[in-house]
Amino acid sequence: MEEKQLIELAKSGDKKALATLVKNHEQTVYNFSFKICRDREKAENIMQETFLSMIKHLNQFDGNSRLSTWLYRIVSNHCLMQARKDKNKFFVSINDDENEESDLYNDKYVADWSRIPNNVTENNELKNILDNAISKLSPEYRIVFLLRDVEGLSTEETALATDLSIPAVKSRLHRARAFLRKEINKAFAK
Amino acid sequence: MNYVNPKCKDVMQHICESLGEDLNSDKCIAIKNHLDNCSDCKNYFESIKITIQLYKNYKVDLPDEAHNKLMNLLNLNDCE
Repeated sequence: MEEKQLIELAKSGDKKALATLVKNHEQTVYNFSFKICRDREKAENIMQETFLSMIKHLNQFDGNSRLSTWLYRIVSNHCLMQARKDKNKFFVSINDDENEESDLYNDKYVADWSRIPNNVTENNELKNILDNAISKLSPEYRIVFLLRDVEGLSTEETALATDLSIPAVKSRLHRARAFLRKEINKAFAK
Repeated sequence: MNYVNPKCKDVMQHICESLGEDLNSDKCIAIKNHLDNCSDCKNYFESIKITIQLYKNYKVDLPDEAHNKLMNLLNLNDCE
């Protein structure tokens, strides 16, 4: 059955349709929230909050965007709320400053990128490097990078999901990409 | 930025800004021409693509227990 039909049925109280929608999206929501908060328990709580919000507001979903885009918006908000609770954490500054900007593109040492393994699932050392790099980025930057580059949303959809303007999405995205690349380069140049 | 002869820093910034975007503007054509002739920028471009791919490949599975808890919480466990 098509998603539009499932949504209409779920809106009219069909529990089976609602369960199908939840099952179709739970892995994506969990994966995304884990990638933002880097903690399994928090990711599980965020996933639960996201689907509770989805059910509460499903009647307001107008169907003009994909359900997944709407869910990304909800899960992003819950991730940011969680991040505000963890506000004692320190994140690196990658603001609109000329010196910081320039520093993003300068490498002291250059890693051999062709030798970086790509089997992330089985490689704990690589996982640690990726975790460490993304943990230094503030959640506001992480969300944009993950929505646009990892989840494959368009710039417009990312702007919609984050309530940012398109230039703001592009600005955060390019800094996040450059920062993560620089951190990975540093780790593999050692 | 000089569209005819962009500098490496401009190219790197542009790569970061516009990877995955429409690449047919005058600015993008100048960037492509630069990339063809500058190994530093070409390597930078490749390393940004690898960075994105690494994060794409990093997936975590939803544990069965978390799925069950979710269905219980939403009162949908009888629809399994």
